[in-house]
Amino acid sequence: MVSSDPLSWLAWALFLAGAPLLSGIVNKLKARLSGRFGPSVFQPYRELLRLARKETVYSTSAGFISRLAPVIVWSAVAFAALLLPLGRAAAVSFPGDIILFAYLLALGRFFQILAALDAAGSFEGMGASREARFAVFAEPIFFFTAGSLAIVTRRYSFEAILAGISWDDPLFLVFVSVGMISLFFLMMAECSRMPVDDPNTHLELTMIHEVMILDASGIDLMLYQHAASLKLLLYAALAALLFNPFGVLGPAPGLLVFDSTLVALAAALALIETLMARFRLVLVPQFLLFATAIGVLNLLIFTFSRQP
Amino acid sequence: MIALFAIGLLLHALNLVLPAFVRDSRRLNVAANGLNALALLCGLGFSLNALLNYHPAAYRFALPVAGPVVIGFDGLSLFFLFTFQLLSLAGSLFAIGYLRHYIERGLSVRAHLWFFTLLIVSLQLLVISHNALVLLVVWEFMAVGAYFSIVFEKDKADVRRGGFWYFVATHAGVLLLYVCFLTLHEATGSWNFDDFARHAAYDPGTLAVVLLTGFAGFGIKAGFMPFHVWLPNAHPAAPAHVSGLLSAINIKTGIYGIARLMLMLPALDAAYGWGLLAVSVVSAVLGVWYALAQHDIKKLLAYHSVENIGIIGMGLSVAWLGRCYALPELVVLGFAGALLHTLNHAIFKGLLFFGAGNVTLHARGADIERMGGLARVIPFTATAFLVGAISICGLPPFNGFASEFLIYKSFFRGGDLLRGYAPLVMLCSAVGLAFMGGLAVACFTKLHGIVFLGQNRSGAASRREKETVLSSVVLLGLAGLCALLGIFPQTGLRLLAPALGELAGAAQAPAGWASPLGKLQIVFALFLALAAAVFVVKLRLQRRAGVRLRETWGCGYAPVTARMQYTASSFAEELVKLGRPLLDLSVHWKPLLSIVPVASGFRSHCSDRLETAWLAFHRAIGLVLGAFRWIQSGNIRHYVLYMFGAVAFYLLCALVW
Repeated sequence: MVSSDPLSWLAWALFLAGAPLLSGIVNKLKARLSGRFGPSVFQPYRELLRLARKETVYSTSAGFISRLAPVIVWSAVAFAALLLPLGRAAAVSFPGDIILFAYLLALGRFFQILAALDAAGSFEGMGASREARFAVFAEPIFFFTAGSLAIVTRRYSFEAILAGISWDDPLFLVFVSVGMISLFFLMMAECSRMPVDDPNTHLELTMIHEVMILDASGIDLMLYQHAASLKLLLYAALAALLFNPFGVLGPAPGLLVFDSTLVALAAALALIETLMARFRLVLVPQFLLFATAIGVLNLLIFTFSRQP
Repeated sequence: MIALFAIGLLLHALNLVLPAFVRDSRRLNVAANGLNALALLCGLGFSLNALLNYHPAAYRFALPVAGPVVIGFDGLSLFFLFTFQLLSLAGSLFAIGYLRHYIERGLSVRAHLWFFTLLIVSLQLLVISHNALVLLVVWEFMAVGAYFSIVFEKDKADVRRGGFWYFVATHAGVLLLYVCFLTLHEATGSWNFDDFARHAAYDPGTLAVVLLTGFAGFGIKAGFMPFHVWLPNAHPAAPAHVSGLLSAINIKTGIYGIARLMLMLPALDAAYGWGLLAVSVVSAVLGVWYALAQHDIKKLLAYHSVENIGIIGMGLSVAWLGRCYALPELVVLGFAGALLHTLNHAIFKGLLFFGAGNVTLHARGADIERMGGLARVIPFTATAFLVGAISICGLPPFNGFASEFLIYKSFFRGGDLLRGYAPLVMLCSAVGLAFMGGLAVACFTKLHGIVFLGQNRSGAASRREKETVLSSVVLLGLAGLCALLGIFPQTGLRLLAPALGELAGAAQAPAGWASPLGKLQIVFALFLALAAAVFVVKLRLQRRAGVRLRETWGCGYAPVTARMQYTASSFAEELVKLGRPLLDLSVHWKPLLSIVPVASGFRSHCSDRLETAWLAFHRAIGLVLGAFRWIQSGNIRHYVLYMFGAVAFYLLCALVW
């Protein structure tokens, strides 16, 4: 349940604080790979601070949803991070929290979409429609991965599931790698990364996440941006935790392995973003269905391994 | 305490003669609905008390034709009675303010109120009659009450059509129920449910007939696919307080029936469980997909009922499987999830339909493409509707999450406990539920966003309009219940505990199966505290940096109009297109080809393939039977000839033998 260990809460605070750094690393690596020098890895922090000091401009069409949504979006993602065991026991954990995790992210998405529609612009509507559409196909990926892990380990909270993963069972290794691939796909889709969405262009017609927050500014925009980087870290951390580094290796080497996995994932993301162009939007569901198919593979491995 | 319930029924009965005494429509409306509300308050007092201090009660009467008749108050009956009374109370109170608009337009509410009362009474009587004959009679009363309540605006063709769909569906259902109960009577020699339950040995053939006809008959009422087609036709036809009750509780009589069959009959064959699971998953996913394609607010909500009935069906089928494979944990998880979702769905669907009623009044139509910005016009309705929308998507911290949580849990446990390929099916069902959840989010962000947010698309002034106090109280009260049952789900579990205790196989379930739900309140308290803290910090930072109001950024384009906003069809287009093999999307437009633009338009609508199929089926029946229509010539001489022929035939028979 709610952890009384102050270190779990500290780990959570560090997690929140470290989120922009991961985005910074991805951006830096991307710049280096394409031969540019690129901004410092701390650039996202500067941008967040700048936004926090800026005046907020609201659309005249916007109502209380636009004022409430940034708070709900950020809180939902930040609260989802509480459910992950980051080296220590998870700050909040109960059997079934994997379901809460997915639904908290959905709650954030719900308000993000509503806020986009609140501004009464056609660009925002376009982004909102795309976000809603891709989420429909992203959700099954998470449930195939997390659900099959839950069924196999017979546990229903992140903490217990991840603690139940051991490196001794060769099957787990296959399972975990497949699970990691699906989570990586999910990360690309949910965090508006390259083959699905292009976070860099400012051509509104092509974007998803950026175009939804086109009318947000000031502290609201800061909350959205931080929530977006937090979400990226959340999926990356979940993928890294599948190896159960802390449980198998102990705290200090575990942290090293955990952090290097995160950097490796960031590098993979940067590489993909350098080498690939964004998909045409109509192809995105196919891309996501492909990721779902990998999740099904996971499931088949286990069903057949359990046949008497 | 039973006296309280009797007083309630007496007050209802008083209501049935009231129209004869009160002449003025306006006063009749207040008096009749107020009396209903008072009666329901008494009834609620009884059922709540009976559920919390539970001991089963049954009353036996000897009726002339039916023989001994049992009126029973067991856990299941009381739970459904409570749900029905709660929503009927909300519906009666809402009707007071809502019907006033119709009275102002000069419509007569006299007959309508009579049948509305009949509907409410028969819904309550239905769940306590533990005798098949009485149940069937009450069922007919309910059908009549509901039909005449639906066709309130009977001068509209659409309304008559919708009412007819309801009438046909409910009678097709009851026909199957006759077969079901007659078979049970044949096997046991009694009409009472306790005798059905006591009967030891059903042979598999009898059981198959009973279960198939029972599931199908009650399934038609509940609106499982492919029997759902009457819902999206009947719900939009009815006035909001009636469609709210239809969707929130009337279709739940089907769920009650299926749950009752589960309670009475032995679970022998797992095939029924798997079959029901397949039907439920299909209903849930396709229901919401069809909903996404609708532009009519009530039709959209009606398709969403199909989805939620599917979710309830998932829980029931897991419970059935748990009984077949002797896994008590699955029985409790599935059954509790199904019943909790029944209560939750009743609350938020009632809320959404009543809210939709206010929307159609203030937007002067049901087409959401012409709406927008209604949050400024009717803020109370908008707020309550938002809560309902979040709840129906199953998002935390509202009540939809608690029941979907139990059903997910039952799938995961099922995947763990069952053998063979069953884990595969269980996980796929869980993923189906997740997929459906994603579609529901798309559907309700569309609905709430298009209706309440942005600018009005038909150019209507967006000034604040007066909402009736009573309707706001009802809507916000239901929204409060959504929050209460979401944050404290044990409240709901406490209400269904007696029903759970009476289900065979549930008693052996390990203690603590519902303990995760008890933890949700702490989790949600933390979440709300976090959100509140962030909100306060945000406000303080904003006060320091300043806030300005400007028009929406249009990339420098100045004459931005409300018609440039995304519409509901464009929001949903891509998702609907992806479902095209199943959804019949048709688009009508003329492409702009000439250099000088000519007047053009765009229209799209999605028709239900299953509805087309049912219509074709009915037409085929009509064609076949039409071939014999010449027998019914209407000429009296022909009928005399028929009689003569028949007598001659019998005489011939008598002679030959």
